[in-house]
Amino acid sequence: MACKADLVVSDQFPTGLRVLVVDDDITCLRILEQMLRRCMYRVTTCSQATVAMNLLRERKGCFDVVLSDVHMPDMDGFKLLELVGLEMDLPVIMMSADGRTSAVMRGIRHGACDYLIKPIREEELKNIWQHVVRKKWNENKEQEHSGSLDDNDQHKRGSDDVEYDFSATEGAEELLITQKRRRDAKEENEELENDDSGTAKKPRVVWSVELHQQFVSAVNQLGIDKAVPKRILELMNVPGLTRENVASHLQKFRLYLRRLSGVAQQQGGFPNSYCGPVEQNAKAGTLGRFDIQALAASGQIPPQTLAALQAELLGQPTGSRALTGMDQPLLQASLLGTKSIPVDHGVTYGQPLMRCPSNISKQFPQTVLTVEDVHSGLGVWPSNDLGVVGASSNLGGLGAQSGNILMGMLPQHQHPCQQQQQQLKQSIVPEPSRSINVQPSCLVVASQSSASFQSGKSPASVNQNSFSKGCVIDYRHLSPQSNNSSVVAGLLSDGDVRRTSVLNGCGGPGSISPSVSSCSINADSSAGRHFSGVSPNISGVQGSYCSTSGQLLDQVPLRNLGFVGKGISIPSRFAVDEPGSPTSNLNCGKIYGERNGNKVKQEPRMDFVENVKVDIPILQNFSANDLTSVFSE
Amino acid sequence: MLGLGADRLRADMNRLLAFLFHQGVLDEQFLQLQQLQDESSPNFVSEVVNIYFHESEKLLRNLRGLVLEREFSDYKKMGIHLNQLIGSSSSIGAKRLTNICVAFRAASDQNNPTACLRALELLEHEYCYLKNKLHEFFQIEQQRVMAAGVRYPIQN
Repeated sequence: MACKADLVVSDQFPTGLRVLVVDDDITCLRILEQMLRRCMYRVTTCSQATVAMNLLRERKGCFDVVLSDVHMPDMDGFKLLELVGLEMDLPVIMMSADGRTSAVMRGIRHGACDYLIKPIREEELKNIWQHVVRKKWNENKEQEHSGSLDDNDQHKRGSDDVEYDFSATEGAEELLITQKRRRDAKEENEELENDDSGTAKKPRVVWSVELHQQFVSAVNQLGIDKAVPKRILELMNVPGLTRENVASHLQKFRLYLRRLSGVAQQQGGFPNSYCGPVEQNAKAGTLGRFDIQALAASGQIPPQTLAALQAELLGQPTGSRALTGMDQPLLQASLLGTKSIPVDHGVTYGQPLMRCPSNISKQFPQTVLTVEDVHSGLGVWPSNDLGVVGASSNLGGLGAQSGNILMGMLPQHQHPCQQQQQQLKQSIVPEPSRSINVQPSCLVVASQSSASFQSGKSPASVNQNSFSKGCVIDYRHLSPQSNNSSVVAGLLSDGDVRRTSVLNGCGGPGSISPSVSSCSINADSSAGRHFSGVSPNISGVQGSYCSTSGQLLDQVPLRNLGFVGKGISIPSRFAVDEPGSPTSNLNCGKIYGERNGNKVKQEPRMDFVENVKVDIPILQNFSANDLTSVFSE
Repeated sequence: MLGLGADRLRADMNRLLAFLFHQGVLDEQFLQLQQLQDESSPNFVSEVVNIYFHESEKLLRNLRGLVLEREFSDYKKMGIHLNQLIGSSSSIGAKRLTNICVAFRAASDQNNPTACLRALELLEHEYCYLKNKLHEFFQIEQQRVMAAGVRYPIQN
């Protein structure tokens, strides 16, 4: 494929957008390729992430946007996202069959430009160009602000970029306005993502291990709260490095930290959605299988999880991490937001921070934007000596508002620093009304809607306000139980049925109302200890996904198939119609019945064999072996 | 006469499709696939569907292996396979099959071996049905193309 961008712009912008699609699912890959071709994009497909990375590295500047699946065997999609963000700084759009809010949230946190849920429609693909343009506009705007560059730099990115700028004026104006708003929201990080005026060619400074190490020590010295680019730059004392470089790197760093905490938080909750090598938190493991973030948020991230997490992010073997005994003091320090965080210690992330996922698009623009606009390009963080600051870093990064929430939502820890935690939290708890804004910005799907797999699928695009339906999770009816399994089981008694009905509200800590806060779902026994008001609930809320209709789907077949837990207490409010119904095959029977019924009306040509077992005379390609092998016990 | 044959076959195809839609076996995504077919990719739908069958059978075999394992415990792996199956099935519009997969995934999340086994059976059943029907569909299509081709000169 030609590396030069021969864009035919004119009326047909964004024709010729160069897209790289990465997905191990060949079916989807082929379909996407066809769809993208129809959008007049130039498509390259790849079924392996490692191959894709090589392709991107070899042909830098030859792609405009990357579409990647989340679950891939050789590399986690989010890892690819990081690497691409770090090395090539291209917009990356994630795709997944998993449309659960939690999964989408992960995508957002990792800095994906967008998150598409399969099956992907052509219309969604038509829109991906906006991410490219937005990014470029952002960067250009930053350049203007920093005043160090001119139009030449735009050309450096490839000739077609200029064309994007010129020909996209109409759409771009809107983008500009959006960006302006966003920019106001995150002033501190305004001057980012721009070029180093020192290096003529490549706009990005390469953050080597040593450089990053210097950066981190500077940050730790200053304290993550007080770490401003200017001071960091001074401390680092690296010739040729500009404040802008540091600023953009700082933003990425913060993003990285935030994501670490988020990821760590979810370790226990995603048995199958997170394919990284991180082992599940032993504690969370008891609840572990269940996709409830609350469980993961139960508290402690053991050193090995952190280590594994860090290792996974850095692409290094977990064995090389040495974290034992380090995280406690670091956590403690981080909780208190002290400056004296030793640099030489490994990653310390005991604080799974609560997010406000459902509120993100509305209430906390800062949060979203920092996530969105800056890729968590983390590919090459240095190894052992990374002193990662914990919770407080995020507080520093976000506005006070969200910071309060985060602090207020910190789940309990089995730490000596609990006390301080409590104090901190208690001091903040009284302000839930300010910080935790229970607003309609929840992802909700009415539980009574039909289970059409496609119809209600809410595109998890962060650009759309899919978080628009208002609802409050009412966890009142879920009794706080110290017994993990029963709570969880209760939650999942009807498999996802529970999930869907429970989660008929906002799926995130941000959506907590004071009333809800009174009850504690936190399955972890340590739940009761801390928060007088807010947090236990948060853990519970966190664990909920707003049900998309994709989840409702779970409801339907489950009911049909009768996969219901046995003897689990189901709070009446969320009771499913037929818990533990013996009529497991009912619907299947119905289906078959339908078929038979229809059979009568249809022409003889429709030859349904009831148990499609073997003989399908009209089918040629279908060997009997296929069928019998499938059915053979 | 031949033209009539082609038309009749087309009608049969449509009827089959309508039926499958009615049953919920297929959904509108399948229509999207059809719309993606054009002169540059005249066999797009059958191509994709065949890829799908090929890949799915691998996944189904793996799933079967996992479910029937004596030490039946690798739910995570099961979940991974299921995710992929969900992705591809929904992408071609196999709605009913996707539903079963989703339920299967839920059972797997619950670590419920009985439910998983049952889901597997249903899944395999549905898969066979779908495959049959789609094969039928493509057969009719083939006949239709041939019938139409005989009457009208083939272009390109």
